[in-house]
Amino acid sequence: MGSTIWIGNIQFSDVNVPVKLHTAVSQNRVQFHLLHRTDRAKLRQQMICRFDKAPVPAEEQAKGFQVDDRKYILIDPEEFEQAEPESSRIIDVHEFVKTGGIDPIFVEHVYYLEPDSSNRSYNALAAALKDMDAQGVCTWVMRKRAYFGALQSAGRILRLNVLRYSDEIVQAKSLGLEAFELSEKEVNIGSELINKLTVKFKPEKYVNEHQKKLREMIEKKAVGKKIALFTPKHLKPTKPSKLLEALEKSLKKAA
Amino acid sequence: MKNPGKIRSARYIGKQDESLSREMPSQGIWTGTVSFSLVAIPVRLVKAVEPGRVSFHLLHTKDYSPLERKMFCPEEEKMVPSEEIIRGFEIEPGKHVVVTDEELESVSPDRSRTIEIAEFIDIKEVDPIYYDHPYFLVPLKGGEKSYRLLAESMQRTKRAGLAKFVLDDRECIVLITSRDGALAASTLHYRDEILSGDAMAPAIDGASDEEENIMKKKIKGMMTDFAPERYSNDRRKRLLDMINKKVKKRAEVEAPEVGEEEETEGMADLMTALEKSMHKVKKSR
Repeated sequence: MGSTIWIGNIQFSDVNVPVKLHTAVSQNRVQFHLLHRTDRAKLRQQMICRFDKAPVPAEEQAKGFQVDDRKYILIDPEEFEQAEPESSRIIDVHEFVKTGGIDPIFVEHVYYLEPDSSNRSYNALAAALKDMDAQGVCTWVMRKRAYFGALQSAGRILRLNVLRYSDEIVQAKSLGLEAFELSEKEVNIGSELINKLTVKFKPEKYVNEHQKKLREMIEKKAVGKKIALFTPKHLKPTKPSKLLEALEKSLKKAA
Repeated sequence: MKNPGKIRSARYIGKQDESLSREMPSQGIWTGTVSFSLVAIPVRLVKAVEPGRVSFHLLHTKDYSPLERKMFCPEEEKMVPSEEIIRGFEIEPGKHVVVTDEELESVSPDRSRTIEIAEFIDIKEVDPIYYDHPYFLVPLKGGEKSYRLLAESMQRTKRAGLAKFVLDDRECIVLITSRDGALAASTLHYRDEILSGDAMAPAIDGASDEEENIMKKKIKGMMTDFAPERYSNDRRKRLLDMINKKVKKRAEVEAPEVGEEEETEGMADLMTALEKSMHKVKKSR
């Protein structure tokens, strides 16, 4: 169990549930540094003035919003502060929706909630949400940022999913995909094939083999061993005219 | 510009959709093939979320010239051009093992250019806690028909495809779903990256049935349909309001002119950023 990130109060109607936020996901990945090819020195980022081509210290940097070619509106740190949300400890639940009602594409991050002091209201809320298959849509301010999220039950504990604002999600129609006519037969075989290849979701089946192999490769290189190079596998795209044939063959294979 | 007292909003908002559709396909993060059984579809991966931040530029307070992020070598005390930058893994303080792009691609050659869907699952079985980052797949030339077939068949069966592939230097589980006629690809967390919340579970005897029933009544009274567009980021609105006020006061500063060739490339991005910010605020009002 990770350390406490933040402490707040879930509130709606006259309900008040004090909770502590904990991380629910931890990622461990190989981290690389950027180096200079000639001397292997670790590189640092530096801000360079486009006009006099020289490094600029932090105290000579300002933030500007561009309004025109080479024209900017300067915003002071105090002005940024004014735009910040008011700090608060309230996780304000505005409404409840069905659990399946929120597309997972909205979920950005998940926190576990641990009861802080009162177990009774926490337990009643977790049990009620679970029983009703409901989740609470809420907003809160944490570390000077305003969040939008979904409060859910997971077993006997409560969980807070940070959601993305809807205008941050790219709509499929903006991809400009063209409609393409398919025959009923093609879609039927495609659907049958998918049904045949359907299994139960077992996430534990998937392990990160790449991470381990990457570490092994680095260790080999560290002791001066040569690394075998492989070309990535490429699959030959199925021609539109051969799609039905490929589907039929696939179905036979799956049977 | 003729009318400096105004952010060129309307003109650019009108162009928004056009510039988005032109721009999207070029933003490919990864290209390869997605396959299921014997059908292989050439695709490109693009972002499915755009963080809605108002973007600012760092300026030099002396001349208001924009700043550029450059990599600096502390040994030679000079800026390093991109062709002189290499990737290294630190094995002990100050000692690195250099890893090239080719070596990186060689780690999992089967998965660096292919997403091979080996199985399909019912989307409902995936707990949202697994979702990491959402993308869209866009068909490349010649792949449009099989792309449409996979999207349509998954839509009809309400299934999603599962596969593993390598994105940058990272191997991801990826869930391919059908979304408004397009194929979406969400990377998923590995099971062992999900921490257990068991230790947080409170004592069982914490609440009575009566308390739970009262809670249910309150929840029931607040049940509705999910309408995410009702929630927006107020900070963005406040910042843009502030900027608009300052624009009216003509409080802008001007940066000195620099060589043309560098300027043109940057400007396209900057204008898009402004257009996007304005468009988003307008929409969320």
